[in-house]
Amino acid sequence: MQLVVENAAKMEELGEKLAGLLKSQDIVYLTGDLGVGKTTLVRGIARGLGYEGKVTSPTFTLMNIYEGKFPIFHFDFYRLDEESELKDLGLEDYLGKEGIALVEWAKGSSLFLPEEALFINITLVDDDYEKGRLVSFKACGKKYEEKLKELKNLAGFSR
Amino acid sequence: MQEVKILGIETSCDETAASIVKNGKDIMSNVVNSQIKIHQAFGGVVPEVASRRHIENIALVVDTAFKEAGLSYEDIDAVAVTNRPGLIGALLVGVSFAKGFAYGLNKPLIAVNHLYGHIYANFLEHSDIRFPAVCLVVSGGHTSLLVMKGTEEYELIGETLDDAAGEAFDKVARFMNLGYPGGPAIQKAAEKGQAGKYSLPRVFLDRDDFDFSFSGLKTAAMNLWNKLNRKGEADVYDMAAEFQAALVEVLAEKTVRAAKKYNAQSVMLAGGVAANSELRRVVKQKADKLGLPLYYPSLKLCTDNAAMIAGSAYHRYLKQDFAPLNLNAYATMSIL
Repeated sequence: MQLVVENAAKMEELGEKLAGLLKSQDIVYLTGDLGVGKTTLVRGIARGLGYEGKVTSPTFTLMNIYEGKFPIFHFDFYRLDEESELKDLGLEDYLGKEGIALVEWAKGSSLFLPEEALFINITLVDDDYEKGRLVSFKACGKKYEEKLKELKNLAGFSR
Repeated sequence: MQEVKILGIETSCDETAASIVKNGKDIMSNVVNSQIKIHQAFGGVVPEVASRRHIENIALVVDTAFKEAGLSYEDIDAVAVTNRPGLIGALLVGVSFAKGFAYGLNKPLIAVNHLYGHIYANFLEHSDIRFPAVCLVVSGGHTSLLVMKGTEEYELIGETLDDAAGEAFDKVARFMNLGYPGGPAIQKAAEKGQAGKYSLPRVFLDRDDFDFSFSGLKTAAMNLWNKLNRKGEADVYDMAAEFQAALVEVLAEKTVRAAKKYNAQSVMLAGGVAANSELRRVVKQKADKLGLPLYYPSLKLCTDNAAMIAGSAYHRYLKQDFAPLNLNAYATMSIL
């Protein structure tokens, strides 16, 4: 399931819509190259969950926590390379607990990341940063499949 | 005068560091378990973020700090530790260790904000800074502008709304295959190129506030780099020079604008990116025009270290502003 998003403002809007479908304990993985808008989408989700403060890139700190309707754990694994580093982060303290986890740069499968989640991949349209973004959704697990169906109705998917 | 020796401990991000500073000024030892070589060996960004790594390092690093200072545990007067902001797991290693150490020795504990530590690095080396002063704290994780009314009195007036400047350096350097860490890599490449051959935006320079945004500049740089490569016209040196110039121009101009607005008597840089020579040059040029002195720490005090933590705790010690032994660690970016 895919959607073309024209600009950053629209990306935030998509995030806000998506937020309406997220419940405590949900997990969303975001992938895509540098500068495609992962953090922008996260900002939209955080807004949709009632968090009005700053949403900045957690690349350096690896994790930001925002207090929305429930805690939002904003992870960024850009700097991580090894499986063991994920484990050492103490992820199990956050994933699937009260609050939602939004994980940027969750590369490939990992022993330490739950499989059931919403997967969002963002790519450039025509390989040009000035054009829009193609946002692809994939659900793993029944709970997330239901969410995708709802999102489809909300967001007006073209394809 | 009474001599006050404080042990500082810093584990907020990648570095495990310990230092002993006398009277908030004299660095008796400054030990940093630098992992930069490991990063380079992996050919990219492989941080030793693991709190486990901090656990493995910390006892040795603290012990080395005592040895280098020629002191025994009993000789110190207090234990200072970074308790925010940073990665919780990493911070907790330092905080827990400091608590145990302070409790065991029956010495007071002092909690220090990492960003304030960066600012304080200036006071470790300069004694003639006049207030009010404007300070730009710029590193891999932070880009913040502060007005300081005194050594301990400060107000945050602006910060990045997305990526930190150091992060933008790292990511663009990686995109251009210039290596890690990105700041020094881009600075080196930029020396052989010329800014202005390509054109990148000076983001937020048109706004009259003191916030920054580097995510858009990062994207613009990658977009331009892709296009130039497709046309076969990409010059890595000119590109590095333009990117550095775009980033530095915004940082420098906003810093000096803040100095004007707040009638500053001094301008300060702090944090890892304060090591960038182009940033130092441009801020100096602009500060000179206003007749303001510019201060920045030496290289080893720009990047993460514990001397800045031990030093900044001195005034708190004098005021007996101690932390309880149930001190916690906080991830929040809040500077105050």
